[in-house]
Amino acid sequence: MVMGILLRKLGHFIRRNLGQFLAATAVVMVGIMVYISMNTAYYNLSQSQSKFYQENNFADYYLQVVKAPEQVVKQVEQVEAVKRATGRIQKDLAIFKPNGERATARLVSFSLPMDNGLNKITVGQGRLFSSQGGSYVEAVADPQFAPANGLVWGDEIKVVVDGKVRLLTLVGSASSPEFIYPIKDTTNILPDPINFGIFMVEQQQAQQLLGMPGQINQVLLELVPGADQEKVVAAVEEILAPYGVVASFGRKYQISHAVLQAKLDGIGSVALYLPLIFLAIAAGIQMIILHRMIKIQRTQIGVMKALGYDNRRIIFHYTVYALAVSGLGAIVGIVLGVILAGGISELFAQYFNLPGGLKTFAWKTVADGMLLSLTMGTIAGVAGSRGVIRIQPAESMRPEPPPLTGQSLLEKWSGLWRHLSPEWKMTWRNIGRNRGRFMVTLFGVMFAVCLLIIAFFYNDVVDYMMQKFFYEGETYDITVRFDSLIDENELVNIDRLDGVLRTEPFIEMPVKIKYRGRSADEVILAYPQNMSMKKLQDETGQQIKVPADGMVINQRTADKLGIKAGDQIEVETMLPYGPIHKDQLQVVGDTQQLFGGGSYISLARGNVILQESNAMSGAMLDVENGKETEVEARLQEMLGIASITDRQKEIQNFNANLGVVTSFVSILVFFAVLLGFAIIYNASVINFAERRRELASLRVIGFTVGEISSLLVKENIVLLIGGILLGMPFGKWLVTVYVQSVSTDQFSLPVIIYPTTYLFAAIGGIIFVIVAHRFAVKGIKELDMVAALKSTD
Amino acid sequence: MERQVLMKLDRVTKTYDMGEIKVEALKETSLEVFSGEMLVILGPSGSGKSTLLNLMGGMDSPTSGQVIFKDQNISSGGEDVLTHYRRNEVGFVFQFYNLIPDLTARENVELAAELVKNPLPIDEILKEVGLDTRMDHFPSQMSGGEQQRISIARAVIKNPRLLLCDEPTGALDYETGKLILSLLKKINQEKGCTVVLITHNIAIGAMGDRVARMRSGKIVEITENPNPISPEGIEW
Repeated sequence: MVMGILLRKLGHFIRRNLGQFLAATAVVMVGIMVYISMNTAYYNLSQSQSKFYQENNFADYYLQVVKAPEQVVKQVEQVEAVKRATGRIQKDLAIFKPNGERATARLVSFSLPMDNGLNKITVGQGRLFSSQGGSYVEAVADPQFAPANGLVWGDEIKVVVDGKVRLLTLVGSASSPEFIYPIKDTTNILPDPINFGIFMVEQQQAQQLLGMPGQINQVLLELVPGADQEKVVAAVEEILAPYGVVASFGRKYQISHAVLQAKLDGIGSVALYLPLIFLAIAAGIQMIILHRMIKIQRTQIGVMKALGYDNRRIIFHYTVYALAVSGLGAIVGIVLGVILAGGISELFAQYFNLPGGLKTFAWKTVADGMLLSLTMGTIAGVAGSRGVIRIQPAESMRPEPPPLTGQSLLEKWSGLWRHLSPEWKMTWRNIGRNRGRFMVTLFGVMFAVCLLIIAFFYNDVVDYMMQKFFYEGETYDITVRFDSLIDENELVNIDRLDGVLRTEPFIEMPVKIKYRGRSADEVILAYPQNMSMKKLQDETGQQIKVPADGMVINQRTADKLGIKAGDQIEVETMLPYGPIHKDQLQVVGDTQQLFGGGSYISLARGNVILQESNAMSGAMLDVENGKETEVEARLQEMLGIASITDRQKEIQNFNANLGVVTSFVSILVFFAVLLGFAIIYNASVINFAERRRELASLRVIGFTVGEISSLLVKENIVLLIGGILLGMPFGKWLVTVYVQSVSTDQFSLPVIIYPTTYLFAAIGGIIFVIVAHRFAVKGIKELDMVAALKSTD
Repeated sequence: MERQVLMKLDRVTKTYDMGEIKVEALKETSLEVFSGEMLVILGPSGSGKSTLLNLMGGMDSPTSGQVIFKDQNISSGGEDVLTHYRRNEVGFVFQFYNLIPDLTARENVELAAELVKNPLPIDEILKEVGLDTRMDHFPSQMSGGEQQRISIARAVIKNPRLLLCDEPTGALDYETGKLILSLLKKINQEKGCTVVLITHNIAIGAMGDRVARMRSGKIVEITENPNPISPEGIEW
């Protein structure tokens, strides 16, 4: 019965102070919503990833050879600790799409039936290729290729093999753990389904197509758990040595896996720290509210004690308030979080090509979220209402003495203090008197500003990369890559085309870099020293000069192998055509690019490595404005061209991948503004309530409504300036930490924060402070001046 | 000597709407306040004296009738007119002092001084109320009498024409109360400031130039007091 009455009393309080209750609840809600949605998405994606890996026998290790008989796989399987081995063909080929455009296909072969093979595929749409013989060859593509190019099942694709055109019939799409994130190589940073696709065909047909009967060029390994990878690989490499091992890498360096794992780790860390900060701020708000509640209900608490209630009972009563906030916030947060989780999982699943079956409802996550919220609520409740203990029944009946004013920190600087107006002195002393509340609120504002900076950082970094990469860095219009090395003189054919203003040659060659017994795969980019259509830049926008002799090495590759400037390294070419060449090179410097990787040498030096004189593997074209399409059409007709890349289309592809960023930014901005509003609103409401009488007397002696409002806003200005000043460096620090946590070998973001971002964060801060202040003090006009004259509270 | 009318209340009524019932706190009351006089308004609680003071101080507007201050009808003006009036013409002394806890004695006075163009010199006023040595203390470090003296200094610093005091001695002991009354009398005489003092303490009426008695929302009697006695001589 009694509990019922106390609950009703609490209900009255909540109803009368609904704004505060809802503000605190909203912050809990956001925290739990982020917790549930991100953790569910993380859980879903991780589950999907491991399930997909397991079901499709995702390989632990990859070895690329020039050419080896199929039977060698049997030999490899004999090696101790090799659980399974699969041999297959993987080769990049130039293709013509039905519209005549070129693209690159990564042809990968699979033996039927696939049951025990490694890196099996899962058919999505259409059907699996058949193994019927003859010249009719069926293929399935990765899930993005067909939709991106407007293809339907049954369409024919022309493949250029050794200068001859062959036909592939597209019969379906399939995904594989290996191509979840289908990018060509480390020089590309995003999937580009218009220009690059994975084509899966039956093994014997692939062998026939490529003129490699009974042969393979790739061996995949699955190791027994706990095996010593280095030892096993050494043994396998020995078996494969006669066939020319051109590449050898573990799952860690498998490009799709590396990118996926980095993204998942990013989600995992955001899923933990973001909600915790929200809940901590919510707990702070609840403590402030309870502290105030106990102060104004001092007499009631005295009466309750006089009636015989003990401290525990009364503290419990006030803790129920915090539990109501945490409970309601958690319930709404869970519902929204579960809804959002579906969307986020879906979004990421699409982004990564992960297969369906994701929409699990993780009871454990929901229970954890509820538990987390209620635990925070209990802590906030008990901590916020511990003041109950100090209240003595007899004393509580007497009016409270006027609040003691502590010296504010600023007062120690008497020079400055003397020049402050009485209004500012009031503000600083009020802050000094309520340090706890001020600190909690300051922390909240700071974090809201941080969130705004993080949100706008995404925009900045994308814009910066666009600028640097596509606009400042590159002035060519089209890039052409040939399907073999050609002589520079042959460029005449392209130069002659109407609309082509200039051309510049380059060589792209995949190599293995060897240094002190260790090796790593790398792509060497050889450019003319006087190159004008492309500006090489490092991460900070510094220009990189093409060295006359020697190599400017990619920093991540250098770090992996422990290479420093001045070191002598060996390179071994891994071009898909021609013989393997080996050469020694001196490293003259290192660099880290914004996008992808690659190490630079001069075109002349590249020719030396390849024992050629005027060879090139591709060219950049400067085309007259408006003639790009025409030139492209003419290029499509030419033979010997592997791919044509239009810079405009590259930009479009890049932009198409930004939808995720935009929605992420908007969500973060929304959270930031909500948090900032809630915390300022709460602090202002309490501040206003506590000083009602004081403010009413000021009205009586002639202060206008505006002057009272400006008096109250001063404290918010202090909070805002403090929050911005602290939030800016802290926001930058958080961005740095975040970037580090998602950086991988292939992918790193620069910490680029434009000055306008700080400005926008500050403006965002000003807006939520003004709006919250307006809402909180809308009662100023109704301040009861008459009451100020009489009551003593 | 011709007495100048500073303020005139003309058939002023104030009705409070309390939901179902209406409470008539002031019923068609008229009153003139003369420049430089000390007017004591006496009455038991509930007699309407505070309502009268609120209307005189521009904190509230009458339901009907007019409040005229120096030929200006302040009851018909809006919130801005009332604020301007309170700011420039009136000083208030409250029963419970209502000082700003976050400001020292001096700063409380400064806060009011800021509101007007030509405030009186702060140090002089603090000296007059006898608190020039305590001016850096906070309200929480002062006795009730000291707080009330600061409150008077805060009211006077604006050099108002009208000083309204609502039970200024109500929360003080006998001795301190008399000190406060002396101070008000001194201000009335030396600065020529019109003082309206509300109290339920009949003895205090003896110090006024005129005494108005109220009962049930009406002024029932106004008496002239040609020889007001000094507050020191009042006993209660």
